[in-house]
Amino acid sequence: MTAVAMTSSRRSSNKPTPSRSATRPAQAASAPKLRYIVVTLVGIFAIIGGQLLLSISVSSGAYEISSLKSEMRSSQQSLQIVGEEIGALNAPDTLASLAASMGMVEDNNPAYLRVSDGIVLGEALPADPSEQAGVVGVTAGTEAPVVAPIISDVSAALSAQAVVEMSAEDALAQALSVETEIQEGSIQPAMVVTTAPTTFGGSIPSPSTR
Amino acid sequence: MTHQRLTSRRMAIALLLVFVVAALFLTRLVDVQVVRASELQEQSEAIRTTQETVWASRGSIVDSFGNDLAVDVDRYDISADPSVAGDFRRDGEIVSLESAMADIAQLTGAVAEELIYAVRQDPDSRFTYLVKGVSPETRLALRELGIPWLQIDLVRERTYPFGAVAGNITGMLGTDRPLAGVELDWDDCLAAHNGVATYQRGADGVRLPGTTTTVEAPVHGGDVVLTLDSDLQWYALQQLADHGSRLGAESGSAMVVRVNDGHILAAADWPTFDPNDFSQTPTSNTGARIFSSPYEPGSIMKAIGVAMLIDAGYTYAEDRIVAPGFFEVYSGRYIKNYSVAQDTQLTTAGVLQTSSNTGMSVLADRMPAATATRYFEKFGFGEITAVDFLGESQGVVNSGDSLDIVTRYNQFFGQGISVTAAQMAGSYQALANDGVRLPLRLVDGCRSIDGEWVSAPTAEPVTVVSPTAAQQVVRSLETIVSQGPLRNTLSIPGYRVAAKTGTAEIADATGYGDDRVISLAGMAPAEDPEYVVLVSFTKPQTSRVSSAAAPAFHDVMSHVLKHYRVAPSSAPAVLPPVTW
Repeated sequence: MTAVAMTSSRRSSNKPTPSRSATRPAQAASAPKLRYIVVTLVGIFAIIGGQLLLSISVSSGAYEISSLKSEMRSSQQSLQIVGEEIGALNAPDTLASLAASMGMVEDNNPAYLRVSDGIVLGEALPADPSEQAGVVGVTAGTEAPVVAPIISDVSAALSAQAVVEMSAEDALAQALSVETEIQEGSIQPAMVVTTAPTTFGGSIPSPSTR
Repeated sequence: MTHQRLTSRRMAIALLLVFVVAALFLTRLVDVQVVRASELQEQSEAIRTTQETVWASRGSIVDSFGNDLAVDVDRYDISADPSVAGDFRRDGEIVSLESAMADIAQLTGAVAEELIYAVRQDPDSRFTYLVKGVSPETRLALRELGIPWLQIDLVRERTYPFGAVAGNITGMLGTDRPLAGVELDWDDCLAAHNGVATYQRGADGVRLPGTTTTVEAPVHGGDVVLTLDSDLQWYALQQLADHGSRLGAESGSAMVVRVNDGHILAAADWPTFDPNDFSQTPTSNTGARIFSSPYEPGSIMKAIGVAMLIDAGYTYAEDRIVAPGFFEVYSGRYIKNYSVAQDTQLTTAGVLQTSSNTGMSVLADRMPAATATRYFEKFGFGEITAVDFLGESQGVVNSGDSLDIVTRYNQFFGQGISVTAAQMAGSYQALANDGVRLPLRLVDGCRSIDGEWVSAPTAEPVTVVSPTAAQQVVRSLETIVSQGPLRNTLSIPGYRVAAKTGTAEIADATGYGDDRVISLAGMAPAEDPEYVVLVSFTKPQTSRVSSAAAPAFHDVMSHVLKHYRVAPSSAPAVLPPVTW
């Protein structure tokens, strides 16, 4: 308040206006004073109000930060959960047992087709499923193997998919046999080649693509 | 005037009162703001301030393809406040302590009665653990239960996503420190130091902006990169388990080494352990026997013996010798063969092919003992490998005074000398690599959190024998796979493979007993070897001859060739004759 009074008094002394020498000095002096007081008070309240708004927005920002942070934490958590599931599915023994459950067998005598001259290297014989040992325990049976829930989920999903793919395979074989008949008349090799492979949704990537 | 005086007195009294009150306030103000200011401020901050652990992650152990073999994950410790634990209200309904505990038990796999006992046994306490180390999913489900007295705290836990696959190499972490393997050996790289931070929070638990102070910054650990290939490691382990249990063997080891850089691609020990859960595992299974258990390797050492004899100019692959039925070391002491009891006309290659002990002794006789010792040492026997694995054994090469006359010959066929499987694989790497032994490598290096790469220490390559000596031995070993009695088991159609069998007697307190170590070591493709494979089984019961290890060797080797897309051999083999 003192500041206001000082300002107004200084202003009034610095600014001798013609109204000062008028017939009603008291009234003339109080009018600008009142104006100054009002202006100052409005200014003060504006500052206080502004500050209030600012601190409200800062603290609501704090709440927003806090909620965003917790959102980030939960996202990181989902990432970790999924990452752990991928890790479990990516484990060699999981991949092997899933592959075995889909009927894949391992061939220990590989053969190669050399593209440059079409020669088969090695002996191209089908693998013998009866020689497959399956996935065996490696810890002398001292611990119970911990199976992540995701593995049994995927295993179940794969066996369901296998049934679907089997019928898709039959359908494709049928379609191909029809198409071959047509082909014998008119030679259109590109047709078969481009349409055939898309029907199989490759379900497990080969190890080398990992 | 009296009225006026009265008024002024009242004024004086009022003023005095005002001054007194003002003085009191002022004193209090000065006391609070100046005299006790810092003390009070501390108190208030202490009430508002909370301290928290800023978790730092221990570094991961990854294989050469970046697959995590050991990694830190978030886990949660679930605790309760027994003093307030009881029935509570959820969505307007009262939930009993028993049903809440039953829910927790169902989610975590704990026993509900034990949980109830935990909070009931000391109802006045403020803290008791219910379940430790639950997964993030379980934590979310637990939070959904809305139990007011339940507390959930973040902890970091070590997991090994591939389980037992590389447990022998990674080792494991105990409750507060690493216990074995790379975890312990490379702790300086992996170790993390948790930080401490403080922040202030309002009554509703929301963090006040701008109040977080890091008292101590967390230091994350670096990643250790191994040369292992998890897929191959797993495959080798599977073969050991499959064939080993069929043989009734006590244990087995398999190692795959890349010839051109000495990287160990697989180092499997069976039986092994799951570092995620090893409380029930006997300690004999929690290490890496491949590095720590020396044994007398038996006849696979003959390839090394012949290589040094050829290098020193005492023989060559086509050299003709007569392998006697019995080789007399000194009067009355004979070295005999596994089966052949009559004199045989063999070449040096034939000595390897038929694994003739007497033929080997005839050749060994040509080399002074001290020279042989020097060669054995150059092949890496008698000292730990460049891997410097935790607890690695250096084996024993007898020399000088400790080398008796029989051992002098025996060493050439792998008795009286003890080596680790890793040393043996390393020596075959030298044969495969034209006589230059590269330091074996298991840990490639450490990548710190800011990307700085520190390569693991290594050693200089050692030229052990001449390229021609090494190649002659490889050609001789090829005759074993293409012409020997095991050709049907060992050969891989399309590839040229060189391998040597070994059946070693195991010495006990009373001398050599009935127990054996059977092994195979070899390389492919033989015309320019890329991979060395060693497979060994200790104390097989159903069959005690080295041929029993052949199927496992074949399967691992054929898988290696397939796995790494090695082109089949095109050049026909020109092999030395084995007899004359």
